[in-house]
Amino acid sequence: MTQEVKTKATFPSVEWFNAIRQIVNDDPGYKHIGTCDATVGIKIPDLQKYYLLTFEAFEVSDVREATETEAENADFWLELPYVKWKEMIENIKANGKADLHHTLNTIDIEEPDDLARSHDGYRRDAFYRFNQTFQYFFDASARIDTTFQ
Amino acid sequence: MADGTALEVPADLAQIAEEKGIPLDLVRRGLALGFPADAIKGQLGMPGVTAEAAEQFISEQERIRAGGEITIPQELLEVAQKHEWPESLVKRALALGAAPDFVAKQIEAGIKPDQAERFIAQQEAAREGGLAQTLDLSWMKVPTEWGIRVRPGNRGLTVEMLNVGTYADVPDHWPYQTEMPRGAYPIPGVAPMGYTIYEKAELWADNAGDLYEEAIQRRWKPATDIPWTTMEPLPDEIERALGQLCTHLCERALLSGDIVGRWLPEMSYGYHEVKLYLSTAAFDYARQFEVFRKRAMSNGGGLGLQSPGYFHRAIIDARAWTEASVVLNIFAASHIMGLYEVGAYSAHNEAESLIFRLGMQDVGRQLSYGVQHLRYFLSKRIERRAEIHNYLNKAEAVFAFEEEKDVPLREALIILLGGGTRNEQVADGIAKLEYFNRRWVRAYLSRLAAAGFPERREKLHPSLKKYIEEPAAAAAA
Repeated sequence: MTQEVKTKATFPSVEWFNAIRQIVNDDPGYKHIGTCDATVGIKIPDLQKYYLLTFEAFEVSDVREATETEAENADFWLELPYVKWKEMIENIKANGKADLHHTLNTIDIEEPDDLARSHDGYRRDAFYRFNQTFQYFFDASARIDTTFQ
Repeated sequence: MADGTALEVPADLAQIAEEKGIPLDLVRRGLALGFPADAIKGQLGMPGVTAEAAEQFISEQERIRAGGEITIPQELLEVAQKHEWPESLVKRALALGAAPDFVAKQIEAGIKPDQAERFIAQQEAAREGGLAQTLDLSWMKVPTEWGIRVRPGNRGLTVEMLNVGTYADVPDHWPYQTEMPRGAYPIPGVAPMGYTIYEKAELWADNAGDLYEEAIQRRWKPATDIPWTTMEPLPDEIERALGQLCTHLCERALLSGDIVGRWLPEMSYGYHEVKLYLSTAAFDYARQFEVFRKRAMSNGGGLGLQSPGYFHRAIIDARAWTEASVVLNIFAASHIMGLYEVGAYSAHNEAESLIFRLGMQDVGRQLSYGVQHLRYFLSKRIERRAEIHNYLNKAEAVFAFEEEKDVPLREALIILLGGGTRNEQVADGIAKLEYFNRRWVRAYLSRLAAAGFPERREKLHPSLKKYIEEPAAAAAA
């Protein structure tokens, strides 16, 4: 993965998610993983910030700010306190991609209440089915210059 | 003018001509021009056909056949130019007797010039007697739905997109015992293929077609997609523990592939989405076997002890696909997902981490089929709800027995999770294994709940129930 940094964006914000969306939508490597159809909520409870990401076919078709309820009505949502989101993003930046202890799956395992949560056990499995797509998405944050609130 | 006076008009054609008020002489002229009797019959059967229109058409065809110039109506010419059809091709179509508005509709429907050229050449050969003498062509009149033209979407042209018109009808009962695909037309006398599953409720899952596409799209190659060179020598006890886990996962993969392979020939062709998806699942199992064998044999270690095998028998002995699916695709797959999480968590390098995370994608599809099939089954077979409990009672009990007997696997997991064999590492490994067991049992129950089977929580085998009880309650028990 290249480290070409062109974009600056602040986490968390729609602009930050959109910057990554732009990168992966233009990236043949992302399409190579295969189709992914899922809605993913993002929750940062201590900042009361919520987002909704829509993965559709070979692209991330939409990113928007959402209410907490909308985030929870996604197939699943990713929930971490701000400091842990920051740690994950900084780790990705430092390594070019998540190291063994900061993949979405390992964070999910280490979080007592899970990183990926859902009200529906079937829809929650989208986290497993498309995990390489979601990992690619967050790993692409290494290619932007992230500032933190 | 073609001499058709000597031609005999078939009785059924003559009858239609009489009903429509078309002189038989006109019909004979049509036959003399080379139009097949069935084609004339079809034309005469069209609404609005008059003797005057037929005379005009035949005369025009005779004029063309005699070397007269073919004139393309202006409206058709514009359509042809817009879609880049050569004028010569349009003229050949008209020369064959195609009505101008029919040709225009075909052009606008998206028929490409090269497709049309092939068809027209065939018809010209038939007109000349070249093909008509050797080909029967009656099969072309098969009463299936024709003219289907499915367009690709943003996922390409998917299996689900083909479910249009009558092709979208997936019957509750499939009445054919042969390999005829859904939507084709049956012929008598074909020997049955020996399928045993003809009821949709017994195998269907609404997501099967999409899971098939997903499996194809998201396939991966252990040989080259895994960064094998990131592996470095590990302490002997860790390598042996990983070898034991890989041995277990190889066994489970082989067994799962055998189970799917055994049931596929039982499933009738009416439900091809399920057969297609399960064929990818069989491939996924092969890949799981492949990748864990490769991991075991690529870092200075090897394979370990075989499993006791009681649980394997519990799955393969299933006498109904729904039983096999609930046990294999929900219960056993939930446990496998738990083992993959152990592998991802304790990964020592990028290769191991990626192996287990890619494997999760494959198992995720197996779980998704299993949940959706159970949901469909329960919605259609309300009276058989208790049966599902019986399947799971047996599977969970045998699993508990297997887990007790499979000391090598349990100890391997403890060593991997604790990071070694020192006392404090073993204590840490035991605590973590308890944590992982809680995770997979909780996920197993949430999947059953999503399938419409939430009450399983109350009937869970005691050896598993302890994982969902509060720590204090579990200790008291």
